[in-house]
Amino acid sequence: MKKGLVAVAALCLLLGGVIAAKADTIKIGLMGPMTGPWASEGQEMKQVLDLLAADLNAKGGVLGKKVEVIADDDGGDPRTAALAAQRLATQGIVAVIGTYGSSITEATQNIYNESKILQIANGSTAIRLTEKGLKYFFRTCPRDDEQGRVAVQAIEKMGAKNVAILHDNTTYAKGLADEARGLLEGKGVKIVFFDALTPGERDYTAILTKLKGANPDVVFFTGYYPEAGLLLRQKKEMNWNVPFIGGDATNNPDLVKIAGKDAAQGFYFLSAPLPKDLPSPEAKAFLDEFKKKYGTAPNSIYAVLAGDGFRVITAAIQATQSTDPDKLAEYLHKQLKDFAGLTGKIAFNEKGDRVGEVYRVYKVDAEGNFILQP
Amino acid sequence: MEEFLQQLTNGLAVGGIYALIALGYTMVYGVLKLINFAHGDLFTIGSYLGLTLLTSMALVDRLGPVAGIAVLVLMVMGLVALVGALLERVAYRPLRHSPRLSAVVSALGASIFFSNALMLIYGARFQVYPQGILPKTAIDLFGLYVPLVRVLMLGTSVVMMIALYTFIQKTKIGTAIRAAAIDQDAARLMGIDVNRVILMVFLIGPALGGAAGLMVGLHYGQINFTMGWVYGLKAFTAAILGGIGNIPGAMVGGILLGVIEALGAAYLSVAWKDAIAFGVLIFILIVRPTGLLGERVAEKV
Repeated sequence: MKKGLVAVAALCLLLGGVIAAKADTIKIGLMGPMTGPWASEGQEMKQVLDLLAADLNAKGGVLGKKVEVIADDDGGDPRTAALAAQRLATQGIVAVIGTYGSSITEATQNIYNESKILQIANGSTAIRLTEKGLKYFFRTCPRDDEQGRVAVQAIEKMGAKNVAILHDNTTYAKGLADEARGLLEGKGVKIVFFDALTPGERDYTAILTKLKGANPDVVFFTGYYPEAGLLLRQKKEMNWNVPFIGGDATNNPDLVKIAGKDAAQGFYFLSAPLPKDLPSPEAKAFLDEFKKKYGTAPNSIYAVLAGDGFRVITAAIQATQSTDPDKLAEYLHKQLKDFAGLTGKIAFNEKGDRVGEVYRVYKVDAEGNFILQP
Repeated sequence: MEEFLQQLTNGLAVGGIYALIALGYTMVYGVLKLINFAHGDLFTIGSYLGLTLLTSMALVDRLGPVAGIAVLVLMVMGLVALVGALLERVAYRPLRHSPRLSAVVSALGASIFFSNALMLIYGARFQVYPQGILPKTAIDLFGLYVPLVRVLMLGTSVVMMIALYTFIQKTKIGTAIRAAAIDQDAARLMGIDVNRVILMVFLIGPALGGAAGLMVGLHYGQINFTMGWVYGLKAFTAAILGGIGNIPGAMVGGILLGVIEALGAAYLSVAWKDAIAFGVLIFILIVRPTGLLGERVAEKV
């Protein structure tokens, strides 16, 4: 009997110890596509957050506690993401960073919001994500209407009268395509083709043949880089020389690898500035460290934008001296101004959208480099 | 007219690939009544192995493009055939006398295992074949533009299919495979080693799937570990369209599916391309439940 009591007491102590140890860290969730078609994005997001967390912890963490990153995989798929969100929501996280695709983020927004967990998306640019009025939702990436405006400016600059728009039916690509169509039609530009391809295929010659028949001056593809790379490559094989412009989801060096340098040359795309074009000292220091730790510079701006989400939330915890979601949301909405992010100055409006101009136009040169257009 | 012909050639090239993969589904189904869901991943393995062998052994530099690629095709087919045989031994043979559902679940498990193994070995990013291995020449007929590679691809597929058909029809092993497809127990009573027949099926089907994977890699350049899913689904559809279990059916089904897709995209809607293809499948299954060439039940292989 006595032995039993001692054992129980020991167990209680042990458990207490474990719980106390757990409470010693501030947990930040990361929900990203670690597997699936966008796995390279998710894995880089994790690399960025691991690096930033290690850095922060080396400097003493926040509120005197270490920061712990808890990563979960959304598979680039809304159903997997909903499960990942439910798992993360039960692990005592203060905030979650992620995720990349808009339709994936959409599947998780309500889960986090109801659990009063702040969510800072990094690549989800669809307009409606912040139009729902969710109190705890933010994003470090800009929105598609902003991107649509910049796209239309670029297309006008190219002197196009007939424009073809191709999307892939994802929340993001369709949203951007619709936005661009409305703006272009408002300016008297003719939309000669508007349709969607199926992502994940290898052969897009049927679509390209149909596009060619529509005879556009410019093709605006709003989908992702794997398909864009194949489109460029097969367009070149067809001997068709029409300029292509892509949305920010085509911003990935793998695009050039897939298309080949000669086919990728002359491709325009819109993007938040690439890490290499960021002049701020924070960005430079981050890039150096990333290179030192992983050997290469980060490929994806979205992974860097995930890093900005992490920096913003840890700064908010430090500034408010609290992990209370209401205080943090209030701080991010109203008080955070001109925060020195890796991708430029960061502030949020009342909807949780990042304010300020972020998009730039890039062009691929003969060497496959992404050159910032003036 | 010009656009129609262009779309037709586009469809034929894609259809040739579907047909080659569909043969693997149809042969396994013919003999084991099992849908080998891991077949699409054997196709992916073919394209990854092709890339590894091509770059690590510098085959094209050493042997020249024609001999280099011929050797590469043979090596990839051989290795994927071994993976196929291993798959049969590990995932299907122990379950041969279990309810059919167990084998289907095992097939799905094998599929997930393969694609995740590829991701862990090669990484999640897209892998890219080196460019400029295949000739870039194209046939330009009155605005109809057909890269030579596509003609070669379709040609290779058709040659492989004819070779397989002859093999099944004319050789002793082919006869044994056909016999086992009709009735395994009766075949066993006639002295046919059914295990050997099944092994043959799991060598030939994956070899053809692997060859298709290699062709896709060489031609389109971009491969990733999830691509077997889409191709597998399409090829599976093609096998059913032609009449599953029937070898000429798989060929016809594959090529037809490619053409339907291309023409559907051209004249109806690009976004509804797959829906059109699957709609045709459903229609044919309603009108002809056995598929297009599925009437001769006794000739199933």
